[in-house]
Amino acid sequence: MNILICIKQVPDMESKFKINGEGTWYDRADLAWRMNEYDEYAVEQAVRLKEQLPNSDLTVLCIGQDQASESIKKALAMGCDKGVHIADPDSSQREPIAIATMIAGFAKEELFDIIFTGMQSQDRGSAQVGVMVAELLGIPAVTTIVDFSYDENTGAIQVKRELEGGSKALVTATTPVVLTCQLGLNTPRYPTLPNIMKAKKKELRTVLPAPAAVDARQETSACYFPEKKGGGLVLEGEIPELADKLIQLLKEKTSALA
Amino acid sequence: MEFTREIYWNVGHGFATLAPMYGLLAVAVVIFALGLIKRIKVYRLGLPLDRTDQRRERIKHMLETMLLQTKVSRVPGAGTAHALFFWSFFVLFIGTVLIVLQADFSDLLFGIKFLKGTFYKLFSLTLDLAGLLAILMLAGLFVRRYLVRPQGLMTKGDDALMHGLLFAILITGFLIEGARMAVTELNAPQLAAWSPVGWGVAALLAGMGEAGLRTLHTGLWWFHLLLALGFISALPYTKFRHILTTSANAFFADRGPIGKLTTVNLEDEDQEEFGANKLGDLRWKDIFDTDACTLCKRCQDRCPAYATGKPLSPMQVVNQIGEIAFTKPDAGLIETIGREAIWSCTTCRACQDICPASIEHLGKIIEMRRNLVLMEGDFPGEEVMAAMEQAEVNGNPLGMGYASRGDWIEPLGIKPLSEDHEVDVLYFVGCYASFDKRNIAVATCFVKLCQAAGIKVGILGKEEKCCGEPMRKMGNEYLYQTLAMEMVETIKEYGVKKIVTTCPHCFNTLTKDYRDFDFDIEVVPHVLFLEELVASGRLPVKAKEFACTYHDSCYLGRHNGMYDAPRKLIRSMGGRITEMARNRDQAFCCGAGGGRILAEEKLGERINVKRVQMAVATGAGQLLANCPFCLTMFEDGVKGANVEEQLRPKDIAEVLAERITSENA
Repeated sequence: MNILICIKQVPDMESKFKINGEGTWYDRADLAWRMNEYDEYAVEQAVRLKEQLPNSDLTVLCIGQDQASESIKKALAMGCDKGVHIADPDSSQREPIAIATMIAGFAKEELFDIIFTGMQSQDRGSAQVGVMVAELLGIPAVTTIVDFSYDENTGAIQVKRELEGGSKALVTATTPVVLTCQLGLNTPRYPTLPNIMKAKKKELRTVLPAPAAVDARQETSACYFPEKKGGGLVLEGEIPELADKLIQLLKEKTSALA
Repeated sequence: MEFTREIYWNVGHGFATLAPMYGLLAVAVVIFALGLIKRIKVYRLGLPLDRTDQRRERIKHMLETMLLQTKVSRVPGAGTAHALFFWSFFVLFIGTVLIVLQADFSDLLFGIKFLKGTFYKLFSLTLDLAGLLAILMLAGLFVRRYLVRPQGLMTKGDDALMHGLLFAILITGFLIEGARMAVTELNAPQLAAWSPVGWGVAALLAGMGEAGLRTLHTGLWWFHLLLALGFISALPYTKFRHILTTSANAFFADRGPIGKLTTVNLEDEDQEEFGANKLGDLRWKDIFDTDACTLCKRCQDRCPAYATGKPLSPMQVVNQIGEIAFTKPDAGLIETIGREAIWSCTTCRACQDICPASIEHLGKIIEMRRNLVLMEGDFPGEEVMAAMEQAEVNGNPLGMGYASRGDWIEPLGIKPLSEDHEVDVLYFVGCYASFDKRNIAVATCFVKLCQAAGIKVGILGKEEKCCGEPMRKMGNEYLYQTLAMEMVETIKEYGVKKIVTTCPHCFNTLTKDYRDFDFDIEVVPHVLFLEELVASGRLPVKAKEFACTYHDSCYLGRHNGMYDAPRKLIRSMGGRITEMARNRDQAFCCGAGGGRILAEEKLGERINVKRVQMAVATGAGQLLANCPFCLTMFEDGVKGANVEEQLRPKDIAEVLAERITSENA
């Protein structure tokens, strides 16, 4: 089986975020980078499928700056066979259809049976790229999967989708198909040292982005932190003292006792 | 009268005695050698390891351990009895050698006799008393093992054999002496008085008449000989082997630095297996260790994991590896010992420190952990795997954004080296003091103390990453090396002369483990650094009396032997220390070492709660610590033990900061 896994490199969510000069996205300084969490589930599921079908070939694709290759290497260490890096320094500025077009452009030539990807990215969170890739390739997409199985005899894929309120939907599909992965699908493995070593020798191809073939459809005009609202205040001490403090606060800050 | 005795009295000294005697000895030696060779073959299944360097020190250490019984006698009671038994048996052995030397060599070949006169008197008296002492000690050990039996003492068939054989040798020895003396010395009390025990036995036997005594003597003499030869033959096949292996293991002992782990060569592309899961993955010393073990259970008695009901006993680990080595060499180490046992270790080193047989428990556990992590990607829990990933991404296992690592210094007016590298000391802060609120308070106190002493401190700030200690102890050698190499490069680039740490784990790692990456900058733990500042008067302290108890962290204590300096510092600032029952080299771990700080404690009781209860028992209201991991565990432990009102855990630096004189503050 020929499998594509589309991943994105995102900042660690614990990073100190600052808004960039244009006010349209975050500044890249002082950020730590990692593989998008949902894409890790995609990689893990693909590797498990390869363990079931050893003849499978796993290609991992990532669009982004040079450092994105670090995330590709992690996917290779987890068990993917080869990596493709579309070196696009401006990928963070691009809207979902532009990213999906790049991926579809690559996928068209290779005839993948399954395309795994995360259900959304942790930074942009549009949740559109996966389904758009499917649409552009003219194949079905099943989103937010939390369970996956493949029947070797019938070739049927059976997945569970997560719906609102914790209910699940059982969906069957056949290849080719795009599957977007949700939290709960699996626990991504920790790469073993021999696999980290082997990953260093695996093919990692860097290609230039194809010229943008789509018209702009949307634009992020501003990006900002939520407005700072007054925080809560916890008073500490003995009860009479607390009462005094509270009265004083009410007098100073409100008109409740006026 | 002549003070001596006839050697080979009654049994004769002719060919009829010597030929069967030496013939039997030869048989015993052959049996002994065959057994020894068989065991050496098993030791050789392990990987090579050079333990024959520093020969002078090794021989000295072996002789001390063996002849002075330094390690065994550290535990009073059974240890004392063992030492006394050893010395008395050793004296008997020397006595026997002297007899052989005179009778079968010096006298036989040159007519020289030295067992006479005053020397004989002393010789005879010493041997008699040694024999008596040996019997008494053996009886004491027998009572302990078979009648009282302390909890956890494993007793096997070997033990019965040893007790039986040794008792028989000693008692037949006295009976032979008594039979001889009943015939030859009962009418010479001046002579008999120099063999008091033999004299007593002789008096008891006297009624048998000379003929009966002579028959008894001959029979017992040959029986005693057979027992002694049986002892020699049995050495490699029974627990008697510890006489050889435990002594030899003192020679082969790890000569430090204490607790420094072996660095795996990750550059070697041919290496496809890491850590240990098969017997052959261990070093020969690891297998030899299992033969040096006497199941004395001192390690088990001190293991914090064992004491809190976790499935780990260091003694069992060694014993199980021994069973694999000698009976089922194909069995998997990890499967046999069990993952939960392997993950339960806090690397507190209490086992290795007390071991009278120089066994290295920690290295074995770490090698198995390396196999689990590097070959299987296995961890004690998902939280540990997440912490590892966090350390990869953000350089700390807490998952905090790396860029905010140095934020805590903002109110203190010190700078990261990237802004000003002209400093007296680099403070290597560590992850907990950088991100954890409770430990930032300690770091802040430490910097203020340095400032009060006029010392210019710098930190690495966001360039600092975890030293890699918890990862390494958890078996993640790859991540450790990645972090370590980066830290070595960063620190070296700034040309730092001296580093101070507030975390003993950082200290131990930087000062020992980093040596393998050509890192030789002086590193000092904060307690020592502060103690020197106070002692030299550079940091004037206004002593104010207070009561406390002090916890020796495993990594300042057992790993580095720093017991006195922190106590001296506490006293210099007015502290009255009430020691916990388990202190100094016997201190009970807080539970956070060995990377366990990253793991949830799901099995048995909580180690930190147990330690906190020990601190509460002293009645002192404060528990002073010197380690951020300990402090974190104790803050948690006082809640778990519900003693928040009775016990306040603090770092020494915090108490000191309250006592710096105002003109400097």
